[in-house]
Amino acid sequence: MSEAAVVEARGLVVRYGDFTAVDRISFAVGRGEIFGFLGANGAGKTTTIRVLCGLLPPSEGGVSMAGVGYEQGERAIKEKVGYMSQRFTLYNDLTVGENLDFIASLRKLEPAAYRRRRRELLELIAFDKPMSAMVRDLSGGIKQQVSLAAALLHDPEIVFLDEPTAGVTPVGRERFWGLIRRVAGGGKTVFVTTHYMDEAEQCGRVALMREGRLVALDSPAGLKKTVFPEPVFEFDPIGRLSFDKLSAYKTHEAFSFFESYGPRFHAAAASPELWAAWAPRLEKLFRIRPIAPSLEDVFIRVVEARR
Amino acid sequence: MNRTLLGFIRKELIQALRDPRMKFILFVAPVVQMTIFGVAISNEVKNIRLAAFFSPQDTVLRDVYERAIHGGWFVPAGASGAVAQDPFELIRADKADAVLVAPEGGFTRALGRGNARLQLLVDATNVTQAQSIEGYIQAIVARTLAADLGALPARPPIRFDLRVLFNPSLDTAIFMVPGVMTMLMVLTTLVLTNIAIVREKELGTFEMLISAPVSRTEVILGKTLPYVVIGMTNLPLTLAVAVFVFHVPMRGSMLALVVATLAFVCTTVAMGTLISTYCDNQQQASMGGFLFMFPAIMFSGLMFPIENMPASVRWLAFIDPLAHYLSLLRNIMLKGGGAETLIRHSAALLLLALVSGAASFKRFHTTLR
Amino acid sequence: MTFVPARAGAVARKEWFHIRRDPFTLALALVLPLLMVIVYGVAIDFNVKEIHLAVSDLDQSQASRRLIDTFSSSHYFRPRPEASAALATADLSDERARAALIIPPRFEKDLLAGRGAKVQILLDGADNSTVGPISQYVASIQALASRRLAGVDPSPPYQLRTRFLFNPELNSRWFVIPGLTVVIMAILSIFLTALTVAREWENGSMELLLSTPVEPIEIIVGKAAPYAALGILATAFVYVIARGVFGVPFAGHLWVFALGCLLFLVTYLAQGLLISVLTRQQTIAMQFSMLTGMLPSNLLSGFIFPIASMPRLFWYLTMLLPARWFMVISRHAFLEGSGFSELAVPFAALALSCATMVALAARSFRRTLE
Repeated sequence: MSEAAVVEARGLVVRYGDFTAVDRISFAVGRGEIFGFLGANGAGKTTTIRVLCGLLPPSEGGVSMAGVGYEQGERAIKEKVGYMSQRFTLYNDLTVGENLDFIASLRKLEPAAYRRRRRELLELIAFDKPMSAMVRDLSGGIKQQVSLAAALLHDPEIVFLDEPTAGVTPVGRERFWGLIRRVAGGGKTVFVTTHYMDEAEQCGRVALMREGRLVALDSPAGLKKTVFPEPVFEFDPIGRLSFDKLSAYKTHEAFSFFESYGPRFHAAAASPELWAAWAPRLEKLFRIRPIAPSLEDVFIRVVEARR
Repeated sequence: MNRTLLGFIRKELIQALRDPRMKFILFVAPVVQMTIFGVAISNEVKNIRLAAFFSPQDTVLRDVYERAIHGGWFVPAGASGAVAQDPFELIRADKADAVLVAPEGGFTRALGRGNARLQLLVDATNVTQAQSIEGYIQAIVARTLAADLGALPARPPIRFDLRVLFNPSLDTAIFMVPGVMTMLMVLTTLVLTNIAIVREKELGTFEMLISAPVSRTEVILGKTLPYVVIGMTNLPLTLAVAVFVFHVPMRGSMLALVVATLAFVCTTVAMGTLISTYCDNQQQASMGGFLFMFPAIMFSGLMFPIENMPASVRWLAFIDPLAHYLSLLRNIMLKGGGAETLIRHSAALLLLALVSGAASFKRFHTTLR
Repeated sequence: MTFVPARAGAVARKEWFHIRRDPFTLALALVLPLLMVIVYGVAIDFNVKEIHLAVSDLDQSQASRRLIDTFSSSHYFRPRPEASAALATADLSDERARAALIIPPRFEKDLLAGRGAKVQILLDGADNSTVGPISQYVASIQALASRRLAGVDPSPPYQLRTRFLFNPELNSRWFVIPGLTVVIMAILSIFLTALTVAREWENGSMELLLSTPVEPIEIIVGKAAPYAALGILATAFVYVIARGVFGVPFAGHLWVFALGCLLFLVTYLAQGLLISVLTRQQTIAMQFSMLTGMLPSNLLSGFIFPIASMPRLFWYLTMLLPARWFMVISRHAFLEGSGFSELAVPFAALALSCATMVALAARSFRRTLE
């Protein structure tokens, strides 16, 4: 990171009663970065984001959002941040125009500035429906794009997108990510959570959370390298193999990692010696070729922590 | 005015008024209900099914019975006349509400003997009705005797000149209409506010709302002011029905009525807000609203006199905004508005509004907990 | 269409899980009826006592004082002396008194001269719940005062012996609590079903349910059954409190009452379902259940305001109201001990409205599938 951090978390802890949802998390994100946030459900992603958005004061630790923290009050943070939650951000029973008007009034935008900003954003998302279209009549993809525009209406420095593409078609997701890249290209810091690995690949850096802790943080390529120092292979079964036999490979001494990947399998060698000993026998059952690990392999190994 | 508040009011009004069914509930239903309840309900007891058993010679009792039927309060029960039936069974089988039973040998002859005892059996499952029936029959018998025998002393030594103020003809609509107005008003304001707030929580838009740098005051006022406005629009509607359909007098000042209504609407809206802070979904909100409304109607004084209640529960009527508003409506519309009553009940309403407003402000957060 | 009890049972079980996790529903279903009956049992009394009586005694004589004493010793009235008639009247408009007694200056003279002394009594006519009883008390005090002050017995040459059947002491509680049972049941059943089902439409889980091979009738039965159980439990509570705490007699047969309860409950559950299908939105379902459930069962069922006094048209209209019929059944079962033969008409009407409402609910439900 060349510039000073725009988003910074220092030793964040969030407790609900006895339950620690977020446990001592620290990281920094720079300007214009697309920062991915991955983790199983309940790993503490949404809680962390709520803290960063000024919605939830942390039990311990602090944040600095574009130079502002909870010391200045959560409203100061909210000024700097745009937030698109994983649930509905727009009112279904209002039109697109009415929704945007309302959000502009929540943010106390000057009418002229609001009109200009709205035009820019609607151009950005290439919105071609009338302003009087009811939100409930929009498709999932369009709805999410309008939500993004709503979150950007006050021109925040940082925008949080909590699972923005859940329930959106692949084409819609592709378009949405195009928008994310343009927003980040414009100098905004984009914070995004997702369950799609192909989306995570498009992030500049990815943070992985497990049980409230930050377990890995790097670029997708860096993560693959650090998580899988050993060589990784793709196994394509030649004949039919029984389920029991395949399950047995998961605990086989030759592998440090063996997971299904569609009809094929991804595996990592436990050690060069064992691999050399077992390879000839395995080659009779599988077509084997060396590959780079996918982000999904990383996710499985780190987040789900098998083996 | 603050831009956020204006935006809020516009948005809430659009949401509340877009659904035609909601428009119906807000603007048509009150008028229809005012009319129905105003016409239908009363404390007055009428159309009582009266049976009487008398022989053809018993002219006085026959006159009593006929006078009762012609008087308008009583209607003949299916079985009357000479053929005596078990009066108890008649009432038990729900064929009569009251039965007159002559003494042996007939009422006329007993009167001649000087110790006439006329028996009246009344179905007392409805206590108020039973008391009224006794009163009516007493009066009718007295009048019949006076006419038939000239038997009553011409002038009692002490005469009570009884006058009922404010509603001299005891017109029931004038009693009931202010009560119905009160109930309809609370139905729209308290319940709608409560649900409107909880709906945002349930749908998740609340999170979006508080992700903007809005203050607590802005959110609370923004969510509640629109319903104060909607509640106030109910006043001209229901007042028009009261005055033009039921001819309820409007003796006090219009300004006092508007101020009292505003105080009442603010109170119910504040209470709706307070209830909403305890609810997570609309179902709970509805039930919470209902848990409030049911006792509130009961303790309003519309159905049961408040001053009869033992002190241990009478304080409930003091914290019941409906009781205060009902007193205010009756006072302003029927009595012309005594300053003291006006101030007392308005102050009580204001106090309730402040307390519930402060409590909801305290419980309302613009951060998630 | 076949009805598979097991599938309806599954729907019911799911509904029960919702209820169990929702303290509001449970509170409403169980605590509310209990609280209501106890509070009303204590609070409600139609027999007005301790009426504040503003007294303006312009005569200040022995006779006038004895007249005032007649009022106060009746225990119905609590006199409050005022200096002038105007002040006494003002007490009425400012709610300091419900009635005013104005004794003119020549009261004692007129009385002694046998000219018929006249006093004025004013009643606050703004409150319907007190005017009736107060005017009756005043009439009885008139007779009493005539006897005490003038030694004249104005009582007629006959006695009217009134027997108040089924509630000889005119106990308000006996009157109110059996009626309250009806109101509570009506509200609970219509309300709970309307809301829960509307909720299911609103968040889309109804479509999921309908996409399974579950028949509409199974859904209806399954959704309604847990609330029916809650309703029955609530009624049982009310019954126990009515009998145990307030000593309301139960003269009839329990099973007559139980059958009435069941018919009534099913009718209102069906009405709740119908509302939910027609509105599909909780806000509106709530308003409609208030409008068609709470207000009519409170005001038009004969609970407090007598049906017989309504205009003819409304009298006929209330026949459509199941609460009106169950009100008759409940009161008769509690106080009069009536059996089926006496209650044939209310039972027939209730059964008819029950069948109609269930058919309507089932039909509208099926329609939404097409």
